[in-house]
Amino acid sequence: MPPLTRTVLARLGGMLLTLFLASVVIYSAVLLTGDPIAALAGGAKPTPELIEQIRAAYHLDDPLWSRYWQWLTSAVQGDFGRSFVYKTEVMTLLAPRFGLTLQLVLLTVLIILVFGVGSGVVAALRGGAVDRTVAVLTSLGMALPTFVVAILLIWIFAKSLGWFPVYGEGGGGWDRVWHLVLPAVSLAVLFIAYLSRVTRSALVAQVHSEHVETARVRGIPRSRIFRVHVFRNAAPQILAISGTTIAGLFAASAIAEVAFGLGGIGSLLVQAAARADLPVVQIVSLLLVTIFVVLNAIADLCSALIDPTSVAGGKAA
Amino acid sequence: MKRTGLAAGAVACAAMLALTACGPRAGGDADGASAELTLVDAQPAGTQPVDEVTWAIVEGEPATLNPAASANLVIPNLCDNLLSLQPDFSVEPGVAERAEFVDPVTFVITLRDDVTFWDGSPLTADDVVYSLQQSTDPASQWYSAFALVDPDPATGIVATGPLEVTVHFVAPDSTFRDALAGQGGAVMQKAFGEAAGPAVGTPDGGLMCTGPFELAEGGWKPGSEIVTTANEDYWGGAPLVKQLTYTFVNDGSTLATALTQGEIDGAINVAPSSRAVFEGDGAGTLTVGPSTASYSFGPVSATSAAANPKIRQALSLAIDRQQYLDTVVNGLGYVQKTLVPEFSFQSMEAADVYQAGYDALAEPTVDLEAAKQLVAESGEDLSVPLVVAVPAGAKEFAQTAAIMQAAGKEIGLQLEIDELQASDFGALFYDPSKREGIDFVATQGYLETPGVLGYPSLFLLPPAMGGVFNWSEYNDPDVTAHLMAARNATDPQTAASEFVAAQEIFAPEQLQVTLAGTYQLTYLNSELSGVTTSVAAYSSPWALHLGGK
Repeated sequence: MPPLTRTVLARLGGMLLTLFLASVVIYSAVLLTGDPIAALAGGAKPTPELIEQIRAAYHLDDPLWSRYWQWLTSAVQGDFGRSFVYKTEVMTLLAPRFGLTLQLVLLTVLIILVFGVGSGVVAALRGGAVDRTVAVLTSLGMALPTFVVAILLIWIFAKSLGWFPVYGEGGGGWDRVWHLVLPAVSLAVLFIAYLSRVTRSALVAQVHSEHVETARVRGIPRSRIFRVHVFRNAAPQILAISGTTIAGLFAASAIAEVAFGLGGIGSLLVQAAARADLPVVQIVSLLLVTIFVVLNAIADLCSALIDPTSVAGGKAA
Repeated sequence: MKRTGLAAGAVACAAMLALTACGPRAGGDADGASAELTLVDAQPAGTQPVDEVTWAIVEGEPATLNPAASANLVIPNLCDNLLSLQPDFSVEPGVAERAEFVDPVTFVITLRDDVTFWDGSPLTADDVVYSLQQSTDPASQWYSAFALVDPDPATGIVATGPLEVTVHFVAPDSTFRDALAGQGGAVMQKAFGEAAGPAVGTPDGGLMCTGPFELAEGGWKPGSEIVTTANEDYWGGAPLVKQLTYTFVNDGSTLATALTQGEIDGAINVAPSSRAVFEGDGAGTLTVGPSTASYSFGPVSATSAAANPKIRQALSLAIDRQQYLDTVVNGLGYVQKTLVPEFSFQSMEAADVYQAGYDALAEPTVDLEAAKQLVAESGEDLSVPLVVAVPAGAKEFAQTAAIMQAAGKEIGLQLEIDELQASDFGALFYDPSKREGIDFVATQGYLETPGVLGYPSLFLLPPAMGGVFNWSEYNDPDVTAHLMAARNATDPQTAASEFVAAQEIFAPEQLQVTLAGTYQLTYLNSELSGVTTSVAAYSSPWALHLGGK
């Protein structure tokens, strides 16, 4: 079997196993949260008959493993169950919100890639004062938690300057982008700093490597050295970090969504958790884990495609 | 998962600190702020049509819009109640042009003949019978108002004409008429309700009412917003606002910023802690209105020291109410002497009798020596701390618990604070097992219709007679007799004097230690007017007169 196929199969197997284990852990959370009757009754004082009805409707008297199996097989087939709180399909809740979170994440990724990789490249190639300035700024960026950035951005760009809205997702098209700028920037800052550091060190390591020195001595043009020898070798590392970063953004978006009043999956998760809406919490958690695992696998495979030697190297290690 | 939740909470706290620290402080609220406040129960009606208004529901997204099962600020604009509650808490005819007792146990409702549902079909007596019967189920939110109605569906609530409904009682009931001005008297379409079954009022099930705003199919996007449109054929005149969209903002500081920046047009029940932000420069203004809402705490078990009136009286004597008002509600409240607030009876027929009874009660004072004396006399074993349950994540309750704890410490009572998650806190009220190990619970509540018997019945009567929150098993035969006499009275004066006689006995017992009465706080964009700004908003179409200035 060619090494690449083997890598793909191994990754796929690992991915499925991870997802299965995650689903078991997430579903077992039922045991920790106790009787869901309170959430289901929705604040009204439940009568014994109502409690009986609820128990039957939600199969609360079946053994846990059978409920788990039913939940998992339905979820795999796209039936995500019904929300305890809204008494509506989880799918109806999730679909529009997922779209919004996806838009937010894509905008954030764009910002992270442009400024993160960009500043890393500039710092590595220019060195000197530029490098030091980038180092100071990235330290600052890494030290600032997302919610603090959100408060600062709201204060400066929304309240004082009035350039951007502070609340909601707006309509469609440019209005949406306009509404998402501040949340995306507040999410991006930490990751820009991180990616910038990684990019810089990966590039610097390559610039000082033997094969680059050799290429330079052989008189190969600087731009070609950078494209073929430096960037291509540094790319797997940058890609791997980008993959984890993007995957993590889906969960991290909750903070920006709550701060800016956006109705995405992150804020849905926070709300559902606060109201003990178990089916929603379970599906959103599973969704976040799935996104994380899949994106990581994709990033790995991309690295393998760019630099097939990394697969062999990875195996040996 | 846990981390995101914590982080989200941190956003709220940090932002709140930032806002209160930066915002201009309203002058002179340290002493006598309440004297400077002007209470407004309704703004002047709007005059200009408005295409769209976005409204924030501070309490969060409702679980249902079924008026029989939920109380929230969306339902009053959708579903009419039989009688119309006015901003000053008086009751006027509404969908029912007449609703009176014709003899002590027979109540006749006569409907207007020009009321239609959103689908154009006329309102009939059958719809009203169906709607009222929703509340005769003991699980209903409004059951206590219907407790004396003849429980037999065939003879209790019956249509006696195309536009006439007769309600038969097992005993006279002085509170029933006023209750019809609340959601217990909400009117839904029978055909729609029967077709939708238990789904009525949910995002999937929808609703069919007669109110000034309509909920279109798919108008409720769960987790996001509820879109309602003007009912152009409303019997009380079409509203000026063509589309009223409700949005749900969980974060207090996000809401405060969105309101003051004009991105959300208004909200009722905004947080008093953001007073400085709301009173500063912004897109709108804060209106302070009268309310029946109050903060209080009470005993949770019959065996705890908390069930001993001396312990509650001692704690009450150790808590400085003025300090409580300044700390917890930023001066936007007043000292309330007992659990029944003045606004709840201010427009009732025998208001002067109630007022005289209230005025005769002792003003809460601070007297640490007397408090210590009471603790010593109580004879309770106080070596184990008493546990106070409060809902987690709410600043006002965290402060309430802290103030109680500090007061207890001064008089030798150890208090321990137990912050409960929202669902656990809710479960406390009907699941006895959740109350184990808890001595006091601090709560906030309001009365949505006029009447004085609601709270006393819940906290003072034996459980079988409606005292579902009477966990300390308080049982004073005189109080019970007076309260029952007040409910069964056939004239308002007797009802009032019986209640006052009961209050004289139960007020000093402090079954609920009332900490403060609070005002209704409404923030509205300066270009708009016409909102009901008193607590009557919970039971009346508060956006009917909303429009441009």
